[in-house]
Amino acid sequence: MKQRSVLVALAVLALVAVVSAIAATASYGSRAKRSAGSIEVFSLWGGSEQDAFLKVTKAFTAKTGIDVKYTSGRDFTTDIGARLAAGNPPDVAIVPRPGYLASLARRGVLKPLSGMGITSTYMRARYGASWIGFGSVGGKLYGVPAKANSKSVIWYRPATFKKYKLKAPKTWNQLLALTKKLKSKGLTPWAVGDGPNQSQWVLTDWFESIYVRQAGPAKYQQLFTGKLKFTDASVVRALNTMTQVINNKYVLGGIQGMLGQSFVGGITDVFGKKPKAHLYYEGGFVGGIAIDQVNKSLKPGVSINDFTWPSITPKYGSPVTIGGDYAVAFKDNANVRTFLNYITSGAAGTIWVSTGAIISPNKLVPPRAYPNVLVRREGAQLAGAKTIRFDGSDQMPGAFGDTWGFALQKIAQNPSSSNIKKVLSGFQKQIAGQWGT
Amino acid sequence: MSQALPTPAAAPPVDAEPVGRRSLRARFQGLLFIAPALVVLLLFLVYPAYYTIRLSFYQSDFLFKFTNWVGLDNFKHLLTNDPDFLDLSQFPPSGALVNNLRWVIFYISISLLFGLGFAVLAVRVRYERLVKSVIFVPMAISATAVGIIWLFVYSPDINQGVLNAVLHAFGHDPVSWLGRSDTVNYALIFAYIWASTGFVMVVLSAAIKGIPTEILEAARADGAGEWPIFWRIMVPMLSLPISIVTIWLFINVIKVFDIIYVMTGGGPGTSSRVIAFSMYYETFPNLRPGYGAAVAVIMLILVLPVMVVNVRRFRSERVVT
Repeated sequence: MKQRSVLVALAVLALVAVVSAIAATASYGSRAKRSAGSIEVFSLWGGSEQDAFLKVTKAFTAKTGIDVKYTSGRDFTTDIGARLAAGNPPDVAIVPRPGYLASLARRGVLKPLSGMGITSTYMRARYGASWIGFGSVGGKLYGVPAKANSKSVIWYRPATFKKYKLKAPKTWNQLLALTKKLKSKGLTPWAVGDGPNQSQWVLTDWFESIYVRQAGPAKYQQLFTGKLKFTDASVVRALNTMTQVINNKYVLGGIQGMLGQSFVGGITDVFGKKPKAHLYYEGGFVGGIAIDQVNKSLKPGVSINDFTWPSITPKYGSPVTIGGDYAVAFKDNANVRTFLNYITSGAAGTIWVSTGAIISPNKLVPPRAYPNVLVRREGAQLAGAKTIRFDGSDQMPGAFGDTWGFALQKIAQNPSSSNIKKVLSGFQKQIAGQWGT
Repeated sequence: MSQALPTPAAAPPVDAEPVGRRSLRARFQGLLFIAPALVVLLLFLVYPAYYTIRLSFYQSDFLFKFTNWVGLDNFKHLLTNDPDFLDLSQFPPSGALVNNLRWVIFYISISLLFGLGFAVLAVRVRYERLVKSVIFVPMAISATAVGIIWLFVYSPDINQGVLNAVLHAFGHDPVSWLGRSDTVNYALIFAYIWASTGFVMVVLSAAIKGIPTEILEAARADGAGEWPIFWRIMVPMLSLPISIVTIWLFINVIKVFDIIYVMTGGGPGTSSRVIAFSMYYETFPNLRPGYGAAVAVIMLILVLPVMVVNVRRFRSERVVT
């Protein structure tokens, strides 16, 4: 009997422990308050982009005394969704997709920035109208542009061009001729890294660059805002154009090689120590990654260079497609206001771009702040572009950009017109009810 | 199990105290003993399961609230109108459900075959411990690391990928194992087999050691060859541990996610998705928690019969011993 009462006591103890542990966890969220003078900023940046941002936050802390706790998650929709559902979002998040920003804003979880001291006059003094537009939903501003990249450049090896006396193409036909010429010399013209996990966006950028130049910026905007169906003939036409290059003949390792190679791996195929291919298409950030991570012996402008995406339909010229990240606020307090104010300042932008990792869409950032010819030219391309269109897949609601990337992978594997039709109508069915959510 | 043992009905009642006279206090004490476990179970198992099942009847959004009741639409759409989940319109059928079936067949059978093979053979070599440790090591590596290791193994770059380096040495062109829809599933399955064979081997090896040596010696004395001994004596005597390991493998396979997330993200296209990956993809990146919950419910329904069998088995064993 004595032993039994000891056991009972133990059981009571265990119960108390479990219950109080649960109670403690439950009350943690409400009771724990952050010490004044610190904010949490969440983004998906790692590597050189993260280092560049931390330089900016360091300068911010030195200036204001407010600490910045930086948290990073590559799987940002999952992370932000889980934290919102738990009622514990970060103070500020940097989101790479206007489509996702709009989804968040429509659910009422973002703070409108006009009420936080960021007026439209303030914005217009710093950013172009399209930039402000992509950060706004229903006429209200929810995000400030943090960084930008041109997605309208193609990377090449100057040495190859010199050896075979090649010139940067101005039109799609010249690009095809260049591709064929490289092939005829026994070289593999293109490397594409669209492979295992998380590189499916590369093909979406290929499609967008072609579509905006072939069907024109107006149709582009309709397509990526749900006003034009993906089953439209213009989409099929752009896909057929895309497969003139994205095929087993011209891509390193063929379509399977492309789907087995990562985005950074593809850069290595062209700009690594032992190059296997000679052309690579992706945004301006390729330069930074190639020089910082892939091959430190590269010299910007000398052993790595880029040319503007060639035009396809002459009357549309060469519109610039861009990708960019926006800072949004989940909470409104003095520290968040100070922070948003700071990162939109010319001083912050200057520190940011001096790292060579990003381009700033901020007009107050002087061109001389860019550290090398590649980023300076990219900055000039963005500033001087007549027509700017935001990365289309990033405008899709939620993470449909990924779903679109998977659809393009299916098309690349089997570009027959019946398969294109099947995949497009499947995708259209999936996304139809999702616009504006 | 064994007929010689007394059945519970025949056994004398253990509890001499009649139930009716049990004091309230004793009952309360009983409740108290199970209370801690019960609280944890309710909070971390029953409540989330209830929440998920209820959510599967709603459209919901990323705040995971019960908004927009849709009834059984999520299930209908999943099973009839979602080619990424189940596509019976062509042959061979495809989709996450079919991929999972592939996993069930190949992963379970090959893991068992390798595990059993290594267990039987390891006993016969001098460096048994060393051999077993080497095979067991992958078990101690997290699935994420396993994924990264095999990403290297399968790399299409012959300077990086071991497998393609070997192919190249034999004059074969490199194969993009993870970039082809027809090889990607098997490549993933093999990586996972590599990671779980060790566990199967250890369990079965312990069971083999438990087989009384007299039986084996008697068989050998009667002139039985090694092959009949293996098939007619060892395998039947190992049937219980084999079935337990099979259940473990089955549950593993239904919930497999991590390695796919790391290695392919369900690609190329959607060709290497499995049920658990669809659940994740629909719930989070696609922002459709209701739909994702419906996938989870289907997963639960698939695992349930196995769980029931497992629990029954444990119960029957307790009666015997």
